[in-house]
Amino acid sequence: MRKWIVVWLSLLLALGLFGVTLRVLMEDVPETHIIKALLPEFEAKTGIKVEFEIVQYSDMHAKLVPQLMSPNCQYDLLEVDNYWAGEFPAAGWLEPLDEYVKRDNFDISVYLPSMLDMVGYYNGKLYMIPMYNYAMGLIYRTDVLKDETLKKKYREKYGKELSVPRTLEDYVQICEFIQTNTDLYGSAMQAQRGDPIVMEWSNYLFTLGGDYYDEKWHARINDEIGVKATELYIRALKNAAPPGALSFNLDDAYRVMAQGKAFSMISYNWMLPQLDDPEKSKVAGKVALEPMPGGVGLNGGWGWAIPKNSQHKEEAWAFIKWVESPEIAKRRALMGGAPTRFDVFTDEEVVKKYPWYPKVMWLVMYAKHVPEFQYSAQMIEVVGRELSLAATGEKSIKEALDTAANELDKLAKLAGLWKK
Amino acid sequence: MRKRRGGIKRSERLAGWAFVAPSLAVMIGVIAAPLFFSLIVSFYGYTFVNPTFSVFLGLENYKNALTDPYFWNSLWVTVKFVVLVVSLEFTLGFLVALMLNREIRFKRFYYTILTLPMVMSPVAVGLIWKMLLHPDLGVLNYFLGLLGIGPVNWLANSKMAFWSVLMVDIWQQISFMILLLLAGLVSLPKEPYEAATIDGANEVQKLFYITIPLMRPVMVAAIVIRTIFAFRTYDLIYVLTRGGPGISTEVLSYFIYRKTFMGLNLAEAAATSYVLLGVVMLFVIVAFRAVYRSPQEGT
Repeated sequence: MRKWIVVWLSLLLALGLFGVTLRVLMEDVPETHIIKALLPEFEAKTGIKVEFEIVQYSDMHAKLVPQLMSPNCQYDLLEVDNYWAGEFPAAGWLEPLDEYVKRDNFDISVYLPSMLDMVGYYNGKLYMIPMYNYAMGLIYRTDVLKDETLKKKYREKYGKELSVPRTLEDYVQICEFIQTNTDLYGSAMQAQRGDPIVMEWSNYLFTLGGDYYDEKWHARINDEIGVKATELYIRALKNAAPPGALSFNLDDAYRVMAQGKAFSMISYNWMLPQLDDPEKSKVAGKVALEPMPGGVGLNGGWGWAIPKNSQHKEEAWAFIKWVESPEIAKRRALMGGAPTRFDVFTDEEVVKKYPWYPKVMWLVMYAKHVPEFQYSAQMIEVVGRELSLAATGEKSIKEALDTAANELDKLAKLAGLWKK
Repeated sequence: MRKRRGGIKRSERLAGWAFVAPSLAVMIGVIAAPLFFSLIVSFYGYTFVNPTFSVFLGLENYKNALTDPYFWNSLWVTVKFVVLVVSLEFTLGFLVALMLNREIRFKRFYYTILTLPMVMSPVAVGLIWKMLLHPDLGVLNYFLGLLGIGPVNWLANSKMAFWSVLMVDIWQQISFMILLLLAGLVSLPKEPYEAATIDGANEVQKLFYITIPLMRPVMVAAIVIRTIFAFRTYDLIYVLTRGGPGISTEVLSYFIYRKTFMGLNLAEAAATSYVLLGVVMLFVIVAFRAVYRSPQEGT
C-alpha cells in the first residue's frame, strides 16, 4: 500500500517537473477549433499540455518541411493532409504506428477503408490515423428541381424528367439547361489555376472511371476517359458556370452559391451546413447533398501522425488515442466535425442532429483520392496549369493532357514508381 | 605629421569597424550566407526529398531552367509587368507629387489617404480587390453596370487578368512613388526657382529645366527601388490569380515558389533564382546608366 503511494507520488512529481507540452501545427478550420475546445479535458486527464499553432493551409507545408528535416522537430504531433500522405512517409519523416496500435489494441477496424487507404497506410505500413474527411459531392438547390414550369420545359426538350442527375452527362446537361432557362448559373465552379481546378476536375475524371496513373504508374490522364472528362468539364465551364469561374477558388464559388445565384456546385461535403446556415447564406433550407453524379467523387482528408524526430512520441500517441477514442470522436461529430469512422457516422444521436451524415459516409466510402507520392503537390500544379490552359483555349484538350501526362510520367520516374 | 594623422585614422577606422560589426554580422548571417548557400545548392541535385550534396550536377540545373518553355513565358510576363508597372507608377506618381507640392487645402487629408494602401499587406489588398473585381458580386462591375457598360471579366480572362493585376499593383504601390518623389520635391532649393521667375521662365520651363534635373537622384532611387520590388511581386499574384488563367500572369517569383514548395526541387529553384537575380541586376544597371548618363550627353 505504502509502496503504491510512493510510486504514485513520484509519478505525480515527475509529471509536475517534466510536464510535457505537445506542440501541434493545425489548419484554421472548424475541426481544429472543435478539438481545441475539448483540450482541457485531455490535460486534466493526463497532465499533458497541448498547444495548437493555428495557421492557414497555404503556410503549413512550408512550415512543416524544414521542421521535419531538422534533427529536432518542434512539433510533436502532426496533422497530415492527403496531399502530403505520400511525400512525408516516403521521405522517412513519420513514425510507423503499427507497433503502437498492436500494443494498445487500438481499434482501426472502425475507420472507413477509403479513409485508411488515403490517410492511414502508405506502402502497407500504417503511418497515420484518419482524423477528418472532406470528400466532395454535389450540392444543389432542391427548390429549382421542384419548379413545375422548368420541369415541363425540360420534359419537352429532352423527353425525360428533371431530377437529381445520376450521370455526369446528365449533370452538365441540366446545368446548361438551367443556365439558359433561368437567371441562375448552372454550376458555381472553381476553376482557378492550381488546386481549385484540379480538385473539381478530379470529380469529373474519377466519376467516369478515369485516373491519373494506371497500376504501373504510367500516366493515363490523356486517355479517352481523361479527354472526355475534360471536354465535359470545359463544356460546363463555358455554358453553365459564372463568367468569372476561371479565377474562382472555393470561397468565390461559395459566395455565388450562398447569394442564391447558382443551381449547384461540386464541393466539399462540409459546405452543406455552411450553405444551410441562414446567417451566412440566402439559400438556407433549399440545399441538399448528393454523391457526385456518376457515383465517384474526390476524397480528401487529414490524418494524425507522429514525426520520427518528435521528442514526445508516447505523449503524442496518448493524445491520438484520446482524440480518436469513441467518446471524443462522437462528441467532435456532434459539435460539427467531419467523421471518419463507421460507428460515429451511424450513431443515433449524430444522425438525429445531422440527418445527411449517412449520405456523407456513402460519399466517403466510394470516393477516390489523388495519387499519393513524393510529388503529389507538383503533379497537382502541372495538371492545374495544363487544365487552365485548355480552359482558356490556349491549348487543345488533347495537347494539354498530353503535356501533363508527359510531366506526370517524369514525376513517377523521379519517385522510382514507374514500372516497365 | 602625416604619420600621426594616419594613426588617428587607423584607430578611427577600428572604431568604425567595431560600430559596424554587429550589423555586418547580421547582414552576413541573413543575406550573404543564404545567398552563398543557395549558389552552392544550385550546382547539386539537392531536393527536399533528398536534402544532401551527394549528386553534383554542375550547370545541369541552369540548363534545365533555361530550356523550360514555361520559364521563358514567366520571364516575359515578369519583364512586361515590371516595365509597365514601374513606368506607369512613376509617371502617375510624379504627376500627383507635383500636384501635391503646392499650397492647397486638405493636404494632410490627401497624405493620409495616399499612405493607406502602402501600409496594407499585399495579401489583404489582394483579397479586397478580389471581392471588388468579382464579376457577379463585385462593386466595380455594379458601377460599370449603372453606366451601361457590360460586366467585365476581370480575372478570368487570360488577356484581361494581366491588366487587372497591373491595376491593383498600381493602386497599392503608387503611394510609395508619390511619397518618395514628394519628399524630393519638398527638399528642393527655392533659389533657382526665384531666379528663373525673375528671368521670366514659365511653369513648364521651370519643370523641365529646374525640377527634373534637380530631382534626378531621387528619381533614380525611386525607380530602382520600385523595380527591385516589382520583380519580387508574388503575394498579389498568389491571392488574385495563382498565375492563371493558363499562364498569363505567372511571374518569375511565383514560378520559383512553385518549383520550391510544390516541386520540392530546391536546386533548380535556386538556379532559377540566380537567373532572376541576374535579370534584376541588369535592369538596375541599365536604369542607373540611363538616368546618370543622359544629362552629360544631352548638354
